Amino acid sequence: MKTQFAKLFVFSQKINRQHIQVAFALLALVLFVLGASAPDDGGLIPR
Amino acid sequence: MILLVAILAGLVVGLSLARVQKRPWTVPPLRKPWLVIIAFLPQFFNLYLPATRTRVSDDLAAAGLIVSLVLLLVFCWFNRRLSGVWLLALGLFFNLLVIAANGGFMPISPQTASRLVSPESLAALGNGGRFGYKDILLLPEQTRLIWLSDHFLLPEGFPYQVAFSLGDMFIAAGAFWLMVTQGKPLEEALKNKPKNKIAKESEC
Repeated sequence: MKTQFAKLFVFSQKINRQHIQVAFALLALVLFVLGASAPDDGGLIPR
Repeated sequence: MILLVAILAGLVVGLSLARVQKRPWTVPPLRKPWLVIIAFLPQFFNLYLPATRTRVSDDLAAAGLIVSLVLLLVFCWFNRRLSGVWLLALGLFFNLLVIAANGGFMPISPQTASRLVSPESLAALGNGGRFGYKDILLLPEQTRLIWLSDHFLLPEGFPYQVAFSLGDMFIAAGAFWLMVTQGKPLEEALKNKPKNKIAKESEC
């Protein structure tokens, strides 16, 4: 358990500002495409 | 969801190009990305989230959708110098135009919708009924700017069927282009020259 926490701690230290910026930009692009487009597969309606 | 394939395809092609040219791939330097999150909120609550979408009236949902699309256009304006954004903006403008002209929802004809759902479900909805998340069932003669509506379909053999508009195609092309070129003009992306100006602008 301690080793796992240590690994998690090391991993979290590797996440820097640039990683967050990349993730944020990708999220923005995905939300843009979802928001701007209007394709419909009739998913809400029973087939 | 089908348009997310364009982002994924752009990411794969962009990464492959960068690998071939032995240069790092970077995410497009978008300016004011928080604006997209704010713009998406009305759609999230009015159209997507099951707990809230059933409580929102059609008029409010339509108004929210138009406000959301206008905010996304503002985002395009801030990022107008990135390659691919003009395609995104054109597609968004087409969708905004047809949605605004048809009462705040994307029109879809019963004929197109019949390829997506059963005839019984279609009959139960009736003309003018909400269809899916952003669409409204309208007869072709009642539809304004029909050439911008959801009237394209994938070939019949495809296991997954979806109706999409001309605007959606431009948005898919823009998202793909943006990911491949990383927002830089293509000549620059191919020449492998870093452009500090764009990088600095993204920090604003």
